[in-house]
Amino acid sequence: MLPASERPFWRPIVDRFAQTHPRARVELVEGPESTDLREDLYTASLLARDPTFDLVYMDVTWTAKFAAAGWLRPLDQLFTSAECESLLPAALAAGRFSGRLYRIPARTDVGVLYYRRDLLEAARLPTPQTLDQLFGTAKRLQSPPSRWGFVWQGKQYEGLVCNYLELLSGCGGFWVEPGTREVGLDRPEAKRALSFMVRCIAANGISPPGATTYQEEESRRLFQDDRAIFLRNWPYVWSLAQAEDSQVRGKIDVSPMVHEPGRRGWATLGGWGLGLSSYSRHPELAADLVRIVISLEGQRWLCSSTGFAPARSEAYRDPELLAANPFLTRIGALHKHALARPPIPRYDMASDILQRHLSAALTGGETVSAALAAATRETRHVLAARDSGR
Amino acid sequence: MRFTQVRRERLALLLPAALLMGMAVVIPIARLVVLSFERTELDSGLRSHFAGLEMHARLWQDGRWWSSLGNTLMFTTWSVGIEMVLGVTFALLLDQRIPGRRWVRAIVLVPWALPTAVMALAWGWIFNDSFGVLNDLLAKAGLVHGPVAWLGRPGTAMAAMVVADVWKTTPFAALVVLAGLQGIPRSTLDAARVDGASPAQILWRVVLPLLRPACLVALAFRVAQGFGAFDLPYVMTGGGPGGSTETVSLYAYRSFYRYLDFGFGAATAVEGAGMALLLFAAILWLSGRTREVA
Repeated sequence: MLPASERPFWRPIVDRFAQTHPRARVELVEGPESTDLREDLYTASLLARDPTFDLVYMDVTWTAKFAAAGWLRPLDQLFTSAECESLLPAALAAGRFSGRLYRIPARTDVGVLYYRRDLLEAARLPTPQTLDQLFGTAKRLQSPPSRWGFVWQGKQYEGLVCNYLELLSGCGGFWVEPGTREVGLDRPEAKRALSFMVRCIAANGISPPGATTYQEEESRRLFQDDRAIFLRNWPYVWSLAQAEDSQVRGKIDVSPMVHEPGRRGWATLGGWGLGLSSYSRHPELAADLVRIVISLEGQRWLCSSTGFAPARSEAYRDPELLAANPFLTRIGALHKHALARPPIPRYDMASDILQRHLSAALTGGETVSAALAAATRETRHVLAARDSGR
Repeated sequence: MRFTQVRRERLALLLPAALLMGMAVVIPIARLVVLSFERTELDSGLRSHFAGLEMHARLWQDGRWWSSLGNTLMFTTWSVGIEMVLGVTFALLLDQRIPGRRWVRAIVLVPWALPTAVMALAWGWIFNDSFGVLNDLLAKAGLVHGPVAWLGRPGTAMAAMVVADVWKTTPFAALVVLAGLQGIPRSTLDAARVDGASPAQILWRVVLPLLRPACLVALAFRVAQGFGAFDLPYVMTGGGPGGSTETVSLYAYRSFYRYLDFGFGAATAVEGAGMALLLFAAILWLSGRTREVA
């Protein structure tokens, strides 16, 4: 099941499969555009042990939960190590749970900082590297409310966590350590990262007060309408912002997210991959289809016209793909510091806790320290629940 | 002999309806209650075990449950309160012999006919800080300087949800009250007039007391719906900011679908429904008491 809008890009992959497997038929099920709704539909189907879906088109954060629930087959036997090694290491690693592989990445996403090259050049300012440089540059060049310094995703939802994680790692902190399950939200690094967000939104800040209600699209529109200087978003924005009708066409550039001095910028890893349903009646055929998806040819079909970032390492050096989308070289570089979200089955719960408290701190409901202290306590509680005889 | 035959016939005729009700209502509710006494283990492939009152105990210690309950109560009280006042007002207006009354009545119903998710999306954009109509109008009127993030602050986000809900469901309250209004015999009003009552006296002493049953019906429906509010917060705010608009239904849904914590989700739903019933009983009891006083 795919978002309905993605269907045309998968068509050539399915056609190729039909050539090599003339007796099998692949049905692409069109689902809603919303990730949450598709997750609900998969959940309902898999709970009922329904064999309708052979392959599960999965967001990067679903792996642990779906695998723990027993809904996915381990893929280690079905794919050779050479096949696995052809994929971006970070994207592949995000498909592992308890030492087994459950998800093969099909396309990837990384958090990117977009900026107005023309405005920075006109003011003879360098591309900001640190939090303070970003704040200073944005503050100097902005003229709110007609043009804001920095827009990002501050609504209480998964995107807020992605935004925060990049800053958190850029400050040297962590959320949940995958191995030890230690929670790092009450450390000074976590406070500095959140304080920066609060500072952006505050009265003398660089972000519109409405940033606490933005998702990707609201922030992209502002940037694309020439109403923001910096934007944190995903790679999909590039092709839209460089399109004919965009007001910022040819005036923008990208860089890794900002960080504290002496550290480096991080990019939250997103993206979509394929898992194999435990209730599938055709696991071998499904695995063959996945092989086409991750082949260089499959990656070209999936990514060249869409602006999606490939999952296959080789694709970032492929002349054909680079000709269609020169932006890929930049994305490829960002993948070296891609940041996975914690691979824990109760990820949704941990994420909701963080979302609530980040949002409360941003909207003035809680202080930074209180929000992070509460988030730490609740996250530890969720993680401990597993060991108390459950 | 004959008697039992008739009885049997009656029972046979009742059977289809009873089966349907049992399958559609009783069994699912019973299943939900049973589920609320179980613990679901996500880490071992979603196995469920009997856990007694553990989930209910967890619920009572859960800050998020109390805050979602508080949000739900706040939302229900404000939206239903305003809707009832406006609903009665509109019903009284619609009952007057105004020109084009049929058309007005039809138009008033339009918001009620819209799917909540669609209208929630529209209101979400109306309250949007940069592209929203509301800020545009307020700025043109010189009432605000710079965009206001209505959905970005706990208080205003809740108020925005109440406004959207009032817009959508006032017509329902108006319609039910209007039906009650038309059930009041003209002769009663004429009698009051003959006895020399002023229009205000007729309204307060005759019409409103006679409307009490209709108002209670509207109130019952609205409290039940308000308590179960799901699509409006889901679409408009996602429960944010900071969880300040998360309702009990939204929390129960997330426990079920997102956390796969079926026992806990069931406990949330069962206790939420129980609270709604309690609230409704309280309303009935209060209204009965005020009647005695009057």
